[in-house]
Amino acid sequence: ILVNAQASMDLRKPLQPDQIKCRSYEKETFSCWWTPWTDDVLPTNYSLFYRKETDENAYECPDYRTSGPNSCFFDKKYTSIWIYYFIYIKATNALGTNVSEDYPMDVQNIVQTHPPINITLTVDKDKPNLLINWLPPQTADVKSGWVTLQYELEIKSEKDHDWDSRGVHKQLFLKLVGLMPGDTYVVRVRCKPDNGPLWSEWSDEMYITMPGKKDFTLWIS
Amino acid sequence: CARDGTNCLMTTGELFDRAVGLSHYIHTLSAEMFKDFDEQFAPSRRFPKSVMRCHTALLNTPEDKEQAQKIQHEHLLNLVMRVLRSWNDPLLHMVSEVQGIREAPDTILLKAVQVEEQTKQLLEGMEQIIGRIHPGDVENELDSLWSGPPISNSADENSRLFEFYNLLHCLRRDSHKIDNYLNLLKCRLFHDNNC
Repeated sequence: ILVNAQASMDLRKPLQPDQIKCRSYEKETFSCWWTPWTDDVLPTNYSLFYRKETDENAYECPDYRTSGPNSCFFDKKYTSIWIYYFIYIKATNALGTNVSEDYPMDVQNIVQTHPPINITLTVDKDKPNLLINWLPPQTADVKSGWVTLQYELEIKSEKDHDWDSRGVHKQLFLKLVGLMPGDTYVVRVRCKPDNGPLWSEWSDEMYITMPGKKDFTLWIS
Repeated sequence: CARDGTNCLMTTGELFDRAVGLSHYIHTLSAEMFKDFDEQFAPSRRFPKSVMRCHTALLNTPEDKEQAQKIQHEHLLNLVMRVLRSWNDPLLHMVSEVQGIREAPDTILLKAVQVEEQTKQLLEGMEQIIGRIHPGDVENELDSLWSGPPISNSADENSRLFEFYNLLHCLRRDSHKIDNYLNLLKCRLFHDNNC
């Protein structure tokens, strides 16, 4: 009886889809993802529709495959930067259809690039000074000026728990002086468009040991 | 450049860097204003984003990278000027309007004043730059794209707030456009597309 009750409860039209997330890696294309309800037991078919503020018509997703399951990819042809898109998801099963609310989206606000690459650490000979270089992610076209990035660098001693931010910079290098001789440090870098809100994920963590011996002087007062 | 330092001109590249810095600053302030306002009013008012309209929508500006790169730089510069000029009156209106909104955070007024002043600066700077790159090519026609504040029933606070919200949204978008176009132009004109 319990099983039957459970089953009949679940036999209904789909729940309203309510989780849509969009991301552009390079301000030239973008993708949106949705999360299917796990409690929809009947086989459910999802489709994505969008309307642009400059056009009254709604269109179906141009490409469900490129960005993986439950996603829609908008290539360059379908991407305009300075207009709102209103996106909604339609969930359909044998018993009916449910449509999400409109998700308003503006490409400039969802630009989240890949992290910086090629992070190199160079130490001065015999000095605990560290030069850090990195490059912008390859997918972001910074050469033409289409994307302008700023970078944040964090460092910590290997044994420490907390990272120490060394500020936000526009250049592709940073020199740190006065680190502890003999200590091993970990460095990571991330970036964001200088006029957008979203930081990239952190880069790979890079390790380096400072030259010289640890200073074991103990000051006793 | 004279030895005593008078009549010392900045290079056009340096001027352009300043313009880019200024446009970035204007966009940052505009984005903050929009965010401040959005956080204060949008949760309770649910402004309908789908009916927002910008007075600059009639200007045929590039919508993506390819379009922006195809367009001749003279034309792109002129578009930047037209967008900038079209904001003169709306910005003045914005500064006076924000003082009438009781619950508006003070920061919005301060930023609106800044944006209004800095936009004038940027316009002057751009006129200088265009005067150097294409002497005699500064278009001075005044666009009246903005039809002025809507004659609204002042009792209807909600539509007044929405109108202001709409204007802030357009300002954020247009200042981003200008900043983006200027960055492209900088890399194209002064760095051989290798910024």
